Amino acid sequence: MSQTREIRRRMKSVDNTRQITKTMEMVATAKIRKAQSRIEAARPYAMKMLDVLTNVAANVEAGLHPLLIAREPSQNTLIVALTTDRGLCGAANANILRQADDLVKSETEAGAKVSVFPVGKKAINYFKYVGYDILDQRRDISDNPGFSDAKAIAEKLIELYLQVQVDKVVLVFNHFKSAMEQKPVAHVLLPIKKEAVEDGSEEKEAGDYEFEPSDSAVLDNLLPTYIEALIYRALLESAASEHGARRTAMKAATDNAGELIDTLRRSFNRARQAAITQEIAEIVGGVVALENNQ
Amino acid sequence: MADRKLECEVVTPEKILYEGQVDMVVAPGGDGELGILPLHMPIITTLQTGELRLKHGTDNQDYIAIDGGYMEVREDKVTILATAAEYASKMDVTELNHIKEEIESKLASLPEDSEEFLHATTKLKHLLNRLAIADRRK
Repeated sequence: MSQTREIRRRMKSVDNTRQITKTMEMVATAKIRKAQSRIEAARPYAMKMLDVLTNVAANVEAGLHPLLIAREPSQNTLIVALTTDRGLCGAANANILRQADDLVKSETEAGAKVSVFPVGKKAINYFKYVGYDILDQRRDISDNPGFSDAKAIAEKLIELYLQVQVDKVVLVFNHFKSAMEQKPVAHVLLPIKKEAVEDGSEEKEAGDYEFEPSDSAVLDNLLPTYIEALIYRALLESAASEHGARRTAMKAATDNAGELIDTLRRSFNRARQAAITQEIAEIVGGVVALENNQ
Repeated sequence: MADRKLECEVVTPEKILYEGQVDMVVAPGGDGELGILPLHMPIITTLQTGELRLKHGTDNQDYIAIDGGYMEVREDKVTILATAAEYASKMDVTELNHIKEEIESKLASLPEDSEEFLHATTKLKHLLNRLAIADRRK
């Protein structure tokens, strides 16, 4: 009897866990939809921004702005890694951290001193644990990022770059392909490659624009905003990825819990059956013993 | 002239605020107010904190507060990229006043050369702009 009670207790605890994972799955599903619509809402701004920047870039010299000038080979590389604040989202964070590790290795081999800028608790804890040089960090924005968060990060990065504290900034984040699929990507934020800007749009008409106050003043303003828009998009993508990965992980957990309950129920029934069989055998044995006594 | 219109778009990182045809755009350019009519020459300009006006016909106008941004004009197409924007008609003045007080009390406690002080000052500037517009366009 004690075995059936033990099994019943385990079934109950697994069932509780399943309820939790199932709820988390549903919450994540709802949040994916919201995060996705935010990505879509941000897209027009990013596209228009690239459009305008393309037009400006076609009109000015590459050497006109410090953010466009590459300092190669990079002496100091900064890696910005976007992870989540909370766990239970599958391999989403592990993928980012692995990618960051690979980058640290390859940049170090190329002769650069590497420092990191973690965003999100998971990256902060990991980088502290492995002992990388942390230049700056941010947390509590991964779930619901705003444009002001992106702006603050962008300003910090641009300041570090202009002060020649870093020569290259690489952003690592989860690219949200679909609710089922997220892929870690590394994107060189600074210096801004002029070709990258120019390839962004199919048409480029050079020379017929008037600039106010001046082309360099517009560029001065536009390049930082471009970085802000890029970071904002990355923050939104990684937020959506977080929810996507969490949903997948929680769905798997719910399914596994269901299977475990099935297995437990089977062994519970078997144990119950065995107990009954044994009881019958004992009674029959008792009766036979009594008959023999007579 | 009257049948020639401007294709206008006001876009912020969070959403598309306005998309449609207008007769005239008046924007707070980096060097002062700019009026854009159809057949304007191509121009790219920075925008400062101020009021954006979209004119429909002679006396119908939309008033939009913007925190700054860029404007591109090309072939009767006006694209305004604003870091943040809000319709005067949709502002919640009590809410704005509330935030204003918060920032002002924060400003008083911050050292004047700190980064946060600078941030708060910019924020306050954007807020005052909105309040002024809300007040003017009641």
